[in-house]
Amino acid sequence: MVPLLCFHALNVMATSPVEIDDRYQRRIADYQSFWQSLMPTYTKLQYAGGMGWLNVGAGWAYGNNQQWETDVFLGFISRYTSDNAKLTLTLKQNFIPWRHEMTPTVSIEPLACGMYFNTVFSDEFWTKEPDRYPHGYYNFSTRVRTHISVGQRVRFLIPDKKRIFSRSITLFYEISTCDLYVVSAFTNRLSPEDYLRLSFGMKFDIF
Amino acid sequence: MHGLYSPYLHQNKSYMRKLFYAVLMLCASLSFPSCNMMEVHPYDAHVQGPQNLNETHIREIHEHLKERKSIRFAFISDTQRWYDETRDMVKDINLRGDVDFVIHGGDLSDFGATHEFILQRDIMLGFRMPWVALLGNHDCLGTGEDVFQTIWGKPNFHFQAGNVLFVCLNTNSLEYDYSEPVPDFAYLENLMKNLPEGVEKTIVVMHVPPFDLEFNNNVANVFQLYLKEFPGLLCCLNGHAHRYLVHEPFVDGIAYIQTPCAKSREYILFTIDEDGYEHEVIHF
Repeated sequence: MVPLLCFHALNVMATSPVEIDDRYQRRIADYQSFWQSLMPTYTKLQYAGGMGWLNVGAGWAYGNNQQWETDVFLGFISRYTSDNAKLTLTLKQNFIPWRHEMTPTVSIEPLACGMYFNTVFSDEFWTKEPDRYPHGYYNFSTRVRTHISVGQRVRFLIPDKKRIFSRSITLFYEISTCDLYVVSAFTNRLSPEDYLRLSFGMKFDIF
Repeated sequence: MHGLYSPYLHQNKSYMRKLFYAVLMLCASLSFPSCNMMEVHPYDAHVQGPQNLNETHIREIHEHLKERKSIRFAFISDTQRWYDETRDMVKDINLRGDVDFVIHGGDLSDFGATHEFILQRDIMLGFRMPWVALLGNHDCLGTGEDVFQTIWGKPNFHFQAGNVLFVCLNTNSLEYDYSEPVPDFAYLENLMKNLPEGVEKTIVVMHVPPFDLEFNNNVANVFQLYLKEFPGLLCCLNGHAHRYLVHEPFVDGIAYIQTPCAKSREYILFTIDEDGYEHEVIHF
C-alpha cells in the first residue's frame, strides 16, 4: 500500500495543474456517462399477465432499431382468498422484430415476443424445497415462475409542444403462458382459456 | 381527377400494407376476448364460481341416505393434472346410475396453483351425485390450501351416510412442519364426544396413510388407537401412492384400502350393507 501511495504522489507531482484538471474532468464525464447509460429509457404499467394485478416497471430499450427491451416490474397481488396480499418482482426480456409507421405519429409493432421470470415475496413460497422434504420431493419452485409471451403494440408519438414527461405512449396487449400451464396443456385436451393468459399495458418512452 | 389523386396513388402500396397490419392486429386482439384469461398470478387464490362445496354436498348425502342400510360410493383420488382422465371418470361414475356419492381422496392439484383447483372443480361439478374432496399434500403448496378451503372447506370434516360415519382427515403432516396439529387429535376427541345420532359404523378416509414419509409416524400407533375408538370401524381409505393396495399396516384386523390415481384410469367402488362392506376396482 505504502509504495503504491508514494508512486501516486510522484505521479501527481510530475504532472502540471492543467493536466490534472483535464483528467479529472474526463473521469467525471466518463463517470456521468456510465451512470447515464444505466438510466431507464421508459416506464411501463401492465395489468395481469401472471405478474401481479398492477405492475409498475421501468426498462431499457437498446439495439440498432431499439428492438430489444429489458423490463423490471414491481407487482401487487391482492389477498383474494389467501391470508395476505403479496408483492412480486418480474424481470422481462422483449424482442420487437418489426416496427411500421402508419402515419408520422402512429406506428405499430405487429409482434413483440417476451420471456419473463416472476418471483413472489411471501414465505408461503419456496425457491428450493425446504430441508424437511427428501431431495427432489416436488422438484419445482413454487416461488419462481417462467413465462413466455407474444403481443402487439401501437405507438403514439406525442407532438413536441405537448410533451410533459414522455416522448411517446405505447399501448399493448400480450398473450402469455407459464411453465406450470405448459406442462398441463401438453398432456390434456384443454381449451386455450385454461393455459393462455391475457394482459394489457402502457409504455411511456421518456427519451 | 388524376392529378388530384396522384399522391394517394403513389402511396397506394404502403397504404395497403398499413391496412393489412391494422386488420391483422384487430383480428388478433379480438380473438382473445375472454375475461377468464386475465389472471393476476398463478397463485393469486382468486376463486370465482361455486364455493364451500363439501358442506353443501354433505347435507345432500345426509338427507338422501337417511334410514338407508345399504349405500354405494366411489372412492377416487389423485386426479392432479389428469384432466382428460378425470372427465372420463366422472362420465363413467355417472353412467353406473347406482352410486350414491363420491369421495375424492385429495391431490386435486399438482402445484397448488389456483386454476388447477378450479379446473378440477368444474370437471367434478359434472357428477350427478354429491361428492366431497379431501386435502392432499400437493394441495398444500403455495396458496393451495387457502383455495382448497374456499372451494371445498375445512381439511378435517365428517359426514353421515345412513348409519355410517365418514371421518375425513388431513394427514399431510410434512407440509405443516409442526405449525399445526396434523393429524388433529383434538378434532378426533371432540368428534368422539359428540357423535351424530344413528351412527353404527365408521370409515376413516385420509390422503396419506400411516408410515408414509409424509405422515407424522411418531404418532402412527396412537392415531390407530384413536381411530379404533370410533363405533364399528370398518376400514380406512387412502390415496397418495397412486396404486391399488389393500393391507393391514398395524396387523390389527383394520384394512387400509388405497385407491389408484386417475392416470391409471381406475377407481374403487364400495358397497356397504348390513353384512359388511365390499369393494371393487373399476377400470374405465
